[in-house]
Amino acid sequence: MRPFEYVRPTTVGEATDFLREHGDDALVVAGGTAAVVMMTLGVLRPDYVVDVGFIPELGPELDGSRSGGAGLRLGALTTVRSIERDPAIAGAYGLLADAASQVANVRVRNRATVGGSVCYGEPQTDLPPALIAMGASATIAASTGVRTVPLAGFFEGPYETVLQAGELLTEITVPLPEPGTFGCHAKFTVGSPENKPVANASVLVRTDEAGRCVEARIVMGAVGPVPVVAEAAAALLAGEVPDAKLIAEVAARAADATDPQDDLRGPVWYKRRIAAVLVERALSCALRKAGNGTR
Amino acid sequence: MCAAQSRKRDPIVGTSMPTLEAADKVTGATLYVGDLVVPGMAHAKVLRSPLPHARVVSIDAAEARALPGVVCVLTRDEVAAAGIEPVYGFVYRDAPLVALDKVRYQGDIVAVVVADDLATAEAALELIEVDYDELEPVMDVDAALADGAPLVHDTFSPIAPELRPVEGTNVCHRASIAWGDVEAGFREADRIYEDTFSAPPVQHCALDLHACVAAIEDGAITVWTNCQSPFPLQRELQRIFKMDARVIVPYVGGGFGSKSRDRLECVVTAAAQLAGRPVRLVLTQEETFLTFIRPAYRGTIKTGVKDDGTIVARHVRFTVDVGAYAISGARSANNTLKVATGPYRIPNALVECDAVYTNKPPSAPYRGLPTTQHTMAYETQLDRIARDLGIDPVELRMRNLVVDGDVHITGDLLRSTHAKECLEAAAAGIDWGKPSERPDKPAKLRGKGVSCTIKYTLTPPTRLSENGAEIELREDGLFEVRIGTVNIGQGSDTTMAQIAADGLGVGLDRIRVVHSDTALVPVDSSTTASRSTYHMGNAVLDAAAKLTADVLAVASQLLERDAASLALGPDGVEADDGESISYEELVRRSGGPLTALGECVVGGTYTAPDGTEYPIASTFWSFASAAAEVEVDTDTGEVRVLRMGAASNVGKAVNPDSVRTQLEGGVGMELGPTLFEQLVWDEGGQLLTAALMDYPLPTMETSPLYRPEIIEHPLEGGPFGAKGMGEIGSVITPAAVLNAVYDATGVMFHEVPLLPHKVLAALEGRK
Repeated sequence: MRPFEYVRPTTVGEATDFLREHGDDALVVAGGTAAVVMMTLGVLRPDYVVDVGFIPELGPELDGSRSGGAGLRLGALTTVRSIERDPAIAGAYGLLADAASQVANVRVRNRATVGGSVCYGEPQTDLPPALIAMGASATIAASTGVRTVPLAGFFEGPYETVLQAGELLTEITVPLPEPGTFGCHAKFTVGSPENKPVANASVLVRTDEAGRCVEARIVMGAVGPVPVVAEAAAALLAGEVPDAKLIAEVAARAADATDPQDDLRGPVWYKRRIAAVLVERALSCALRKAGNGTR
Repeated sequence: MCAAQSRKRDPIVGTSMPTLEAADKVTGATLYVGDLVVPGMAHAKVLRSPLPHARVVSIDAAEARALPGVVCVLTRDEVAAAGIEPVYGFVYRDAPLVALDKVRYQGDIVAVVVADDLATAEAALELIEVDYDELEPVMDVDAALADGAPLVHDTFSPIAPELRPVEGTNVCHRASIAWGDVEAGFREADRIYEDTFSAPPVQHCALDLHACVAAIEDGAITVWTNCQSPFPLQRELQRIFKMDARVIVPYVGGGFGSKSRDRLECVVTAAAQLAGRPVRLVLTQEETFLTFIRPAYRGTIKTGVKDDGTIVARHVRFTVDVGAYAISGARSANNTLKVATGPYRIPNALVECDAVYTNKPPSAPYRGLPTTQHTMAYETQLDRIARDLGIDPVELRMRNLVVDGDVHITGDLLRSTHAKECLEAAAAGIDWGKPSERPDKPAKLRGKGVSCTIKYTLTPPTRLSENGAEIELREDGLFEVRIGTVNIGQGSDTTMAQIAADGLGVGLDRIRVVHSDTALVPVDSSTTASRSTYHMGNAVLDAAAKLTADVLAVASQLLERDAASLALGPDGVEADDGESISYEELVRRSGGPLTALGECVVGGTYTAPDGTEYPIASTFWSFASAAAEVEVDTDTGEVRVLRMGAASNVGKAVNPDSVRTQLEGGVGMELGPTLFEQLVWDEGGQLLTAALMDYPLPTMETSPLYRPEIIEHPLEGGPFGAKGMGEIGSVITPAAVLNAVYDATGVMFHEVPLLPHKVLAALEGRK
């Protein structure tokens, strides 16, 4: 690993001041599950490593006090494992917990943070599709001020986001879903489930008392440069009581929206196929939950 | 065979026990080579070629040498100036310490930087400028065998006498063996089947990365390494550097063949000589992919059978991609000629192989050489034959499997076979004959498959001992067992301690084991080819018998009793009448420790009942079977192995728990290359699966539940009847899985890994 200077700010202000000066040559590290691997492999070669893991303002806030009516606030340092297990998330935000539970393995989930998962911009990651499906936004701080960006517009390409040099993602906010909203996340890997997936899919649905679909969101990962939001496919569900045929149609339409690449995890046709299978599985799961009224 | 005096206690051989080092290993106390710190040690990093095939026009390392903290940079110029032998290799002497005129694969070693610390060494790598003149690479066997293909090596340098290169080509070894009259056999056949199978390279992925420390002091070399063959390495160091050498191998965290031959030790020693101080090199996981890999394999198998399923002829042609250097790969190919037709009675056989140079990393054995791929080929084809003839796959095998007294295609008389019993036990492990339970989803198919194999062990062409073992009765009354076997995780110290304890008739508490230090133990050829339990076990047993005789002779004088009335007891020599002398006192009064050297002589020829002399192709033959039940998801193409059965005739299980875990580990490891592991290069010769994140490995989640069965039919001549079994678990795995998938889907796969997209494409008839 190339030598670097290690910096450990204790406030957001301190961090953003440093990043204003050295943002181009600095790598922000939280859990380190991706950053350290990339540095070890020599893919990332920063002059400065800014360890934000000791900034209390970035800490998680999962006790539900603020996560009640106004929505969920996830400090950037909230670990994937706590999203998976926290009771405040398991209820209304069940899709997030489902996606979090499928990230890598428990060792990684214990270290990896929501901020890191988002800022890394890796197309194969599980949390971004779930967060986008839930309408989450990112709060971004800089020495010049704070801005908020919907996650749906956060990703610009593989490993590329709207974050500018000098900026620091401080928190993710997730609006409280309407009652009757249920979601599921599905992924498919070759070999062990901790490998990078061929594709993943997050599906969120809201149904009325008659079982009609009032709202649906479908977001797929690993099948495009950024998470793919399948609006046209989701629209097919509006006002319908989905049966197997419609679910298959929605899945096929969702797969049409993907833009996968031929790589070690499979050729393009296969990734499209898997995306459809996963949308079908996640949608069926979400509808099953909605039908049972359980989350 | 054995002077075992076990009349006073229960035997230790045959008793399961944790390995002697188990507690240290699980608490992290065990030291591996990468943990070693030698005073004054500097650190090395390797500059590797970015190109798969190129002439090295110039190397400019001046800037790197000028970097503060850099001790030296080793390039071809320094090798030439040092006057040392510039190339090394075990059966083929074709690997340069550092690149000479050419680089031959992406990752080939061009230079070694030695610095005070690793970071400086790494930084200095970037300051070396190398000018390459790019050459066309040959990335696979087809390209290498094409007319006018670029030559990876202009000249051949085999040193093992059996190797036969083909001048002017990339074929570094071409060989065949014949038995009976294969053409006549095919004429006799009712049906003939021909199939071609292939498997890509994979890497062994041992947890313990290749590591070595070299020091030169007072005109002698000391190398600490995790190489599986310390004595051949010692000889190679002495040849190259023309000075005495000592090789020390501490505990090794797995090798599986990736460390079967030395690869870095001579390079690091050259760096230490240049540096004038000890040097340590520890590879990264990514670098192991560029060090030794399992070769790509392709085999075409043609089999003639009678309508009742009797095999009458078999012709196997296979190629092995040995990569850029044939350090050991050429002989691996040659050795598996012997087993390519399987554990069957085959009256007429022809096996031909080409070992071919390409611009891939050099190949090494991988837990059973290409025996695994041969087994995949002949066993998968056998299920096609079974289907075609309407015979149950187990029944078809039963009709053809060898039995004791049969003669193999090498002319060897087979003993301790029990291949049928292995098959029955493995098949029972998955309830063969009962249909699979119906899967919970309609998109899932289930099926079952079996496989059988035969495996050889490394055997010298002439009768000789390649192993010694020494046992010393020390002043403290303990028996020190000195063995060259490398403790690579297989539990060899424990196995040898058990054999020594029973050979001597003393308790395990009296035994100490010293392993794999060329200055402290007698010579041993290598810890490879499932050979240690048989060969080193016999040497230990021989030493125990000799030492027992010596100890009893001394005790006879001291106790004034007839030696026949004496025996070794728990704490000393005991006489029939109750008289005794402690081991400590015996050593003290006899004037010093008593030592005996044992050996294991193998090889040469045997005389058949008709008087014909046959060379022994293998000291012993191993037999095993696997059975697999799989579930195939027709939505995704995913294959999951639900259950496995496995069984091997090991002669005698010295430590049954270790035997079972060896079998279990072999099966679990090989599920990776069967289902998803593979090394992939792009057309330009760049490795795409360059790191573990792109190279999935088996985990608990991909491993089915299974309990291997041990079959014990003692082998005459084996220590307590034992023979080798360390590799056979992996050998039997791919064929069983392929056959189960064939059973589940009706689609016969001719290659591994069974990647989901390939399975789905095949199920849907896609190209």
